[in-house]
Amino acid sequence: MYGTIFAALGLKAPVHLYVDDKEYRSVFRHSPDIELTNTFEKSDIVLVTTEEALELARRKKGENPEGKPILFATDYHFLKSCEKTVGAFYWRKGRSQLLFLKKRLDRHHIAVPEKYGKFVIDEL
Amino acid sequence: MKQLYFNRIIFGIIGLLILFVLYLQYAIIENTEKIKKDEIQKSENYAQKIAEYLQAKTDNHMEASLTKSPKLRTQLNELLQALLTEKYQYIFVLKKDTKGHYRFLLDGSKEDAVEYKTLFFPQSSLFDKVYAERKMGIAKQQEGTQKIWLSLLYPIVEANQTEALLVVDLSEEYADYLNNFNSPLKMLVGLMQVFLVVSMVLLGLMAYRYYKFRQSVLNDVLTGAHTKLYLEEFFNRNRLDDYNAILIDMDEFKEINEKYSYDAGDVIIKEFTQAILAELSLESKLIRTGGTEFFIVVPKKEISIGVLAQKLFKRLQEKKYLIDNDVIFLTISMSAMIIPSGTSSLQNIQRILDEKLLEVKSRGKNDFIVLDLQMIDNLRYRDINYIKEALEEKRVSCLYQPIVHTQTKQIVKYEALVRLVDKEDSNKLITPDHFLKIIKGTTQYIKMSKLVLKEVFSSLHAFKDIKLSINLDLDDLYNNDMMKLIAKHLYKNREVADRLTFEILEYNEIVDYDKVMLIFQQLKAYGSKVAIDDFGSGYANYSYLIHLDIDIIKIDGNLISQLHTSAQRTKIVLESIRNLAEKFGCKLVAEFVSDEMLYTQIKALGIEYAQGYYLGEPKPIEAYEKFIKV
Repeated sequence: MYGTIFAALGLKAPVHLYVDDKEYRSVFRHSPDIELTNTFEKSDIVLVTTEEALELARRKKGENPEGKPILFATDYHFLKSCEKTVGAFYWRKGRSQLLFLKKRLDRHHIAVPEKYGKFVIDEL
Repeated sequence: MKQLYFNRIIFGIIGLLILFVLYLQYAIIENTEKIKKDEIQKSENYAQKIAEYLQAKTDNHMEASLTKSPKLRTQLNELLQALLTEKYQYIFVLKKDTKGHYRFLLDGSKEDAVEYKTLFFPQSSLFDKVYAERKMGIAKQQEGTQKIWLSLLYPIVEANQTEALLVVDLSEEYADYLNNFNSPLKMLVGLMQVFLVVSMVLLGLMAYRYYKFRQSVLNDVLTGAHTKLYLEEFFNRNRLDDYNAILIDMDEFKEINEKYSYDAGDVIIKEFTQAILAELSLESKLIRTGGTEFFIVVPKKEISIGVLAQKLFKRLQEKKYLIDNDVIFLTISMSAMIIPSGTSSLQNIQRILDEKLLEVKSRGKNDFIVLDLQMIDNLRYRDINYIKEALEEKRVSCLYQPIVHTQTKQIVKYEALVRLVDKEDSNKLITPDHFLKIIKGTTQYIKMSKLVLKEVFSSLHAFKDIKLSINLDLDDLYNNDMMKLIAKHLYKNREVADRLTFEILEYNEIVDYDKVMLIFQQLKAYGSKVAIDDFGSGYANYSYLIHLDIDIIKIDGNLISQLHTSAQRTKIVLESIRNLAEKFGCKLVAEFVSDEMLYTQIKALGIEYAQGYYLGEPKPIEAYEKFIKV
C-alpha cells in the first residue's frame, strides 16, 4: 500500500525511506521498492508514526521546509499538528483513510495522479 | 436374487442418507441466513429508533444544534456510546460539507472517538447513494475495511433534505457468532459426510470385490463358459420357456486324458468350447455342467432346435484336434428339446435331457436325440409338483392285467398296475415310467403305496373270488415306513390277505439273505404269497431259489420274447427254469406273452401260467370280472 502511495507522490523506486518505528521497519525491510535509511537526511520520504518522529521531523524540516525528504503521517493527528506533512494514511472506524493536502503538495510541487484526486483536500 | 435385493437396499439407504445430509446442510445454511436476516432487520429498527431520537433531541436541525451546543454533542456522543453493544462495532453520524466530504457530527466510539467535523472517507459509494436518495442502505464488508461485517446507513432527513447520515456498523465478530450459531449441527453434518464418504468408498470396494468374486463363481476358469450357478441366476431373471435346451457330452474323454495327459485334455476341452460358441449367438448361453458335459440354452425365436442340434452335432463331429502331432476326432452324444410353455423347473429339464443323453449313450454313443412333442407333452408328468398334486387329490388308479392258466386260459389272478390319472383328462392314465423314478425314496412314494394298497385290498373285498398281485422293490421292504404300512394293511385285511401276492423286483444284489428272509416271513404272515419277478434277468438269479422261500417265479419277459428269434435255445433255458420251479415247488408264470405264437410255445413247454397283452391288457377290474360272469 505504501509503495503505491509513495509512487503517487512522485517518488521513484527505490524509494529511500526513513522510519524509526521498529514494527514499520520490519515490514518495509522486505519491500523490493523501498530502501530503509538510517538517517533523516538521506531519505526521500519520512514516515511519521510517533510523537518523537513528529518532533524530529519538525526540527529537521525547519532547515529545509520545501526540499526532501517529504513527510507522510500514519495518523490524522500528526497530519493536523504538523504543517509539513503532505498527507496521511490511517484507519478510522474500521476503514482505511488516505488523504493529501493540496497546499502542502503544491509546496513540494507534487501532483498526484488523477485517480488519487478524490483523496486530495483543501483543508482539514 | 436375495443378494441383489440386499445390495439395492444398502445402496438405497446410503442414497437416502446422502439426501438427508444434503438437506440438513441446506437447512443449516438457510437457518443461519435467516438468523442473520432477522438480526439485520432488528438492527434496521434499532437504527431508525436512534435516528428518530437524535432528530428529536436536535429539534430537526442537527448540524445547527450540535454546532451551537458542545454540551449536547457530548450528551449525544455518550448516548451513542451507551448503545454500543458487542453486536455493534461503531455508531456515528456524518454530514457532507460544502466540498462533498463527509465529516463527523457524532461518534459513539469509546476509545478512538474523533473530534467534531473530522474528515471521513467512507470507502463505499453506497454512502453517497443513500445520502442522495434518502433511503436506507446496507453496505457489506469490502476491501479497505476492518472488523466490520456490514454497515447500516440510515439517512436523517429534514424537509426532504438529508440532514445527516447515521452509520451503524455491525461487527465482524457478531457475524462470526451468528455463523457459528449452528456449529454443533454443522460438525455433526460434517461427521456424517465423512462417514458417508467412507461408507461409499467401502461399499464401492465391497461391490468391486463382490463383482470379481461373482465373475470367478459364474464363469468356468478353464473354458470361459458359464457355471451352473450362472444358469440358475440367469433363469431367475429370464423365463425358462423362452428358450430351448441342449445337453452335450464328449464320448470316451477319459481315454484322451489317459493317453495324452490331463493338460492335453484341457486344451481339447477349451477348443471344444470355442467350437460350440462359434455356432451360438450372443443371446445363447453355454454352461459347463460337468467335466465334459455342456448345457446350452438358445432363445426360441432364433433357430429351430432340430436344425441347431443337427448343425452343432455335425460341427463337433467334424472338429479335429491336434495333440502331439496326432490328429484326433472326438464323438459326442447329445440330447435336445424345446422347453414347453409354462415350464418353470430347470432341474426337470436338466434331468430329462440327462436321461435322454444316457439313452443315446446306451445305444452306442456318437448320436443325438431331439425330443418330440409327445415326449415333451409327457414331461409334465415328471414334475414332482404335478405328482404331488395328483397324490394329494388321490388321482391314483390301478389297472389289472390277468394272469391265466395256460391250458384253460382261465384267469387265476390279476397283477395290479398303478397309474396316475391326468389332471385335465380323467380318461388319460399315466404309466409309472413317467413318475416312479421321480418319487422313489420320497414320502410321496409311501403315500402312493398307501393308496395302491388301499385300492388293492378294496378290490379283494369287493370281488370275493379274485386273487391279486402287486409289485414291490426289495429296496421298499428295507424301508421301515413301508414295511409298517404293509404290515398294517395286511393285519387290517387279514381275512383276504391270502389272496394277495407280492411280486418282488430286485435291482441290486442281495447281500443279507437272512434279512430278506425275515421280510418275506412278515409278508407271508397272513397267507400272502411271494413271487420273484423278472427271473432270469439281472440279479434275479438262482441264488434266490437257494436262500429264499419263493412261491412263484415270474420269468423275465425279455427271455420269453427270445422265443421269436432263438426259439430252440430259449426253449432249453425255459425248460430248465420249469424243471427248477417244479423241484422247488414254485408256480411258474411267463410274462410278456404278446402273441399267439408265444402263447402256443409257452403252453407247449408246460409253463403253467402266462401273462401278456395277448391274454389280456391292463384294464379296470370291473372289465374282467364282468367278462368272466358272462
